[in-house]
Amino acid sequence: MTINLQPVMTPPLAHAGGEGVDPVYRQIRDLVYKVSGIYKAEEKLYLLTDGCGRRMKQVGVRTLREYWDRLTARPDRDAELRQLLNEVTTGETCLFRSQPQLDALRKVILPELEAQKTKQITRRLRIWSAGCSTGEESYTLAMNLLEESERLLQGWTIEILATDLNDRSVETAKAGIYGGYALRNTTDYYKRKYFTVVDEKKLQVRPEARKLVTFSRLNLQDDSKMLFMKGMDVIFCCNVLIYFDAASKSKVINHFFSNLNFGGYFFLGTSESLMRLNDQFHLVHFPGTIAYWKPSLSSGKL
Amino acid sequence: MKPSLAATIRERVQRIKTMPAIPAVFLPLLKLLAREEVQVDEVVRLVSYDSAIAAQCLRVASSPLFGMAQPPKSIKGAVMSLGLRRVETILLTCCLGQAFPAKKWALDPIVFWRHSLGCAMVCRKISEKLASADREKAYTAGLMHDIGFMVNCLVFSKEFAPVMERACREGIPLHEVEQETMGFTHSDTGRALAEKWGLADDIIEVISHHHGVEDSQAAQPLVALVHISDLLCRMRGMDYGYYERHRVDLIADPAWAILHKEYHDLEGVDLVQFTFELDEAVEDIHTLVSMVFGSAPGRP
Repeated sequence: MTINLQPVMTPPLAHAGGEGVDPVYRQIRDLVYKVSGIYKAEEKLYLLTDGCGRRMKQVGVRTLREYWDRLTARPDRDAELRQLLNEVTTGETCLFRSQPQLDALRKVILPELEAQKTKQITRRLRIWSAGCSTGEESYTLAMNLLEESERLLQGWTIEILATDLNDRSVETAKAGIYGGYALRNTTDYYKRKYFTVVDEKKLQVRPEARKLVTFSRLNLQDDSKMLFMKGMDVIFCCNVLIYFDAASKSKVINHFFSNLNFGGYFFLGTSESLMRLNDQFHLVHFPGTIAYWKPSLSSGKL
Repeated sequence: MKPSLAATIRERVQRIKTMPAIPAVFLPLLKLLAREEVQVDEVVRLVSYDSAIAAQCLRVASSPLFGMAQPPKSIKGAVMSLGLRRVETILLTCCLGQAFPAKKWALDPIVFWRHSLGCAMVCRKISEKLASADREKAYTAGLMHDIGFMVNCLVFSKEFAPVMERACREGIPLHEVEQETMGFTHSDTGRALAEKWGLADDIIEVISHHHGVEDSQAAQPLVALVHISDLLCRMRGMDYGYYERHRVDLIADPAWAILHKEYHDLEGVDLVQFTFELDEAVEDIHTLVSMVFGSAPGRP
């Protein structure tokens, strides 16, 4: 990641004012925005101040001005910025978070894709969990697809690509170890079939589910990397774009659109919407959930 | 549909005059509502014949869905606060809840009423976004659109039970299985009952064509509104109690274009936002349904 430290871009302030906040926080906020597209509205500035506070303690600096230097002037500034991003992008989530999305995937989308691909020689399914955090969604998908590989997807090659900006999260995700909070929606059936016991509080995802998922760090704002994420059948990007402002959101969404195969689907978090940021996707309803559909070539609706 | 089949439906529906629980005020009320100009006193006098309906109407008026914080003390009081037409739709809701003996329900009647009342509310909520739409008409249309379902339960129970069973098992829209298996749908049987009851022409159009908006000759925008609301209900937890395995693309639906042509302000409706708003009303609908329909006579 290269950072241009020339004068901070126009502050993307949602609200003017915000008295009592050290202006250096705004400089940091704008820096974070520039590299990651994550937009901290004024009322969310506290998330950033908390994160900076924790990092300042870790690296042993006392003033914000000094910390700004760490982020911008030191040779290891990229590393520190990455650490700060890790601090401010940790989300709270759990496995089996949205059953309606999983139902839509298994009961409607997979049969549809299966019918479409039945004529192809290699039957391959590619799913992208974008902004995968600590892997809960990615493994949930893996387990559900393994269930289907006993039925509908027999003989299919299944790939789940899971990416996140936060490299600490990605490392945690690879281990696939979860406690009671993350497992609160996981039924005994899945616990028995897809987990091994680590200790009395923690379970680990079994290797057969883990090997379906490839984790890597990816910045959704990194255009050159985004171009390589091709041939997706379904993309999940839940509760990630809420951190982005309209401009960065729109850019990422356009990438997602081209990353998808024709006839592919894009899911957001349960209370998110694309608003009017993209008019190529079709908004579609499934029971209990919505998604965005990239029309198939044959539908003639492009 | 073959003419002979249409005749069979009409003939069997004619025999439904033996519905035991239908409130005496129901049919006169329907006739009253079909008229353009109605006096408050006419409605009040009609309802005074049935104190149970009147009491229920007052309770329902205090539901968050109808927007009165305190239950009104009298029908006249409710009319003063909510307006005559709103009170009429509440009365209609209460009467309909009692109109069917429901001995042979092919599914839990509560599920059916959640869908019908849900559709009524969604119709009105969409109309609220469209400046020139008639909200109470929309509500009534949504409430009545599936009355054919009850006709099927009552007079085609033998044919209808396996239809319902297969729709549930395979997750297919009900009207498709009806058409394939019986050769007619609840739209056809609903139409026969609506004609027998002498419902307004536009409501008959809705009942007949809410699954095939383009076949509708008159009242197309109202039919399209009900079609869209029906689909939304089925996708947002006010369904027929089973998972429909299909994708619904409302904006690409011909009904959306018909509605848009009539009401240009549909352009400004954010469908996702609207969907989330509906979710907040679902619980109120459930409460209201148990209030109005929970005690329907003959419920299994």
